[in-house]
Amino acid sequence: MKMKKFISAVLVATMVLSMMLTGCGDGGSAKKGEGEIFHIMAWNVEFKGFFETYFAEKHDDGEFYVGDAKVKWTIVPNEGGAYQDALDRALLNQENASEEERVDMFLAEADYIAKYVQSDSTMDVTKIGVTDFSNTYKYTVEAASDEKGVVKGVSFQCCPAGLVYRRSIALDVLGTDNPAEVQSKLDSWEKFNEVAALCKAKGYYMTASDGETYRTFSNNKTEAWVDADGNLVIDSAIQAWMDQSEMFRDNGYTILCDVWAEEKQPQMLDTGKTLCFFGPAWYYNFCMGNAMDTCKGDWGLCEGPQSYFWGGTWLLAATGCDNTKAVADTMNAFINNDEIVEKLVSEQSQFVNNQKINEKFASDPTYGNEFLGGQNDTALFVELAKNIKFQNTSKYDQLCNEGIQLYWREYLKGKVTKEQALENFRKYIKEKYPNVNTDK
Amino acid sequence: MKDNKPKVKSISYAKWGYIFIIPFFLVYFIFTFYPQVLTFYNSFFENFRDGLTQIGPRFVGFDNYKALLTPSDSGTIDILKYFGNTIIMWIMGAVPQFVIALLLAVFFTNTRLNIKGQGIMKTVIYMPNLIMASAFSMLFYTLFSNVGPIKPLLVQTGIIDQSFDFFFTTISVRGLVATLNFLMWFGNTTILLMAGIQAIDESLFESARLDGASSTRVFFNITMPLLKPIFVYTFITSMIGGLQMFDVPSVLTNAKGTPNRTVMTVIMYLNNYLGGSNNYGMAGAISVILFIVTAILSIIVFKTIDRDKG
Repeated sequence: MKMKKFISAVLVATMVLSMMLTGCGDGGSAKKGEGEIFHIMAWNVEFKGFFETYFAEKHDDGEFYVGDAKVKWTIVPNEGGAYQDALDRALLNQENASEEERVDMFLAEADYIAKYVQSDSTMDVTKIGVTDFSNTYKYTVEAASDEKGVVKGVSFQCCPAGLVYRRSIALDVLGTDNPAEVQSKLDSWEKFNEVAALCKAKGYYMTASDGETYRTFSNNKTEAWVDADGNLVIDSAIQAWMDQSEMFRDNGYTILCDVWAEEKQPQMLDTGKTLCFFGPAWYYNFCMGNAMDTCKGDWGLCEGPQSYFWGGTWLLAATGCDNTKAVADTMNAFINNDEIVEKLVSEQSQFVNNQKINEKFASDPTYGNEFLGGQNDTALFVELAKNIKFQNTSKYDQLCNEGIQLYWREYLKGKVTKEQALENFRKYIKEKYPNVNTDK
Repeated sequence: MKDNKPKVKSISYAKWGYIFIIPFFLVYFIFTFYPQVLTFYNSFFENFRDGLTQIGPRFVGFDNYKALLTPSDSGTIDILKYFGNTIIMWIMGAVPQFVIALLLAVFFTNTRLNIKGQGIMKTVIYMPNLIMASAFSMLFYTLFSNVGPIKPLLVQTGIIDQSFDFFFTTISVRGLVATLNFLMWFGNTTILLMAGIQAIDESLFESARLDGASSTRVFFNITMPLLKPIFVYTFITSMIGGLQMFDVPSVLTNAKGTPNRTVMTVIMYLNNYLGGSNNYGMAGAISVILFIVTAILSIIVFKTIDRDKG
């Protein structure tokens, strides 16, 4: 009996002690110079790939390091705001987070960068040693600055976007696959719609998803999704997209599916029957990855009916970050380290956030993108980048953009009336963002 | 002699009973009762995040409930619609679930049939329940999507036409949700009902058979009446689970309840308020309404099935 009591006493004592010790351990190691773990949050692996190939060092244990800090990634997909939710939770918990969990740097997209830049969860990067923005595009710095002009991060890419067309279909339908000539036949929405009819007549699709042209329209909005008074605004540009998609549906010019849907994938392969895709450099380098294998070279790039930009990946420094040197080094490397930035262009066909390097490639007659049949895409993007203005954005953009496309598609598919589609969209926004006034 | 009677009249073991159930009550109070009270409490507050800015908590009385029960522009009260969706999908799955489970339970427990390989069969029918609901739903999504293998098959045989989209048609999405729930839960129900039937005295079946009762007669006059307590229990737990339906429809419709929100369940609606803005006020109010509706329905079911007891 005594023995049993003794044993249980010892057990209880060990439990209590171990709890106390672990508790102390966390508190003790919280603040001392550079942290051991460089924690980065992102929504996909695009930047991770570049980071591991060109910047971080791989040690013998198979892990990547920046300085002495081990790199840890947390990747949560964007869709439905899942990434923002995870990020919000992490950022609001920075003070209590353990070394493992504390976010040092995170990636943000154009749709929601404003939310983080305007908050206290990001910090002034000029104070940690990121000061030279002379080569970057101005809009990328503006997008990462708060109202007072404090810069909270940098973008490693610049995202002017264009129209990617399939050369073989262009030859068949338009009689040419020369980018300048194709552009002259597609430089307005009227001409674009006319070519759609020509495509249909020859058995092709104009676009592979009803949302394909969405970003071109939405990026030319005259008002933000949510105005200064907190009202939801359906801009005339969005209305124009809705009208166009309806007309495309009626005439069978497109496939009724999401811009990321699987139905669209076969259209990017060698069996595809679609003339136009819309997007910036990351779109055909990263998202059309499978097309690289089956129909490389059968693609061309031109400006398209309207100039626009889409997305972009900003690296932001999180408040409470304890790896400021690693964060600053990463940011500097991806905008100002000539060697790395040049490789991003020459090996990864990126359009980088460094005007000097981009212009060097733009004027290099030997440079061409294999995917685009040797066309110098950088030369075109250098011109298009001049038009980019970061404006009419709000922190609610991601779910507004996703929601309108989804609920409108229910109308396109004939499941609801126009009014119902818009009412469902308003309901969705009201549920997600109680502060937004969604009344008509 | 009387003086020799022991001072303690009887040894009370009751206190051990109480001591042994203390852990349950502790866990119940901390992890169930306290959060429940907190949910009620939260439902009276405006409490959400706008971006990274916390709004509230601010006491607003019944405003959250009012917002939920106010008809929308088109005149429908949304939460009632979502209750309707949930109950319809639950019934679509529960009816076959109970019919098949009852049949199987009767077959497996029938001593005259003496079915071989019961162990394997029980494992197999229980198997779908072991797979994560989201993985199971994802599998079905892939099978029935526009690029999945089922659609071309049905198009070629002329059953559906090319423009048919399983995930944009109310009846097919609801049907898939019901099928998945049925597949996942009929094994569980079978095993519970079997346990119930096995608890019935075998001699009753034997004497009924000796008296020449048919199998149907035995089922309705012996099995069902004696199985009732267990049957009511499984039915009510299935209903409570059904009202809280979330994972399957959410994965199949990408959390949107497409088409026209006809597959949106109450918990998916609640989840819309939680994701994005952490709206504890509205989510709390929905939970409370769900709690009340569940309680009322359970009482109704209990009273109806158990009516002729006394």
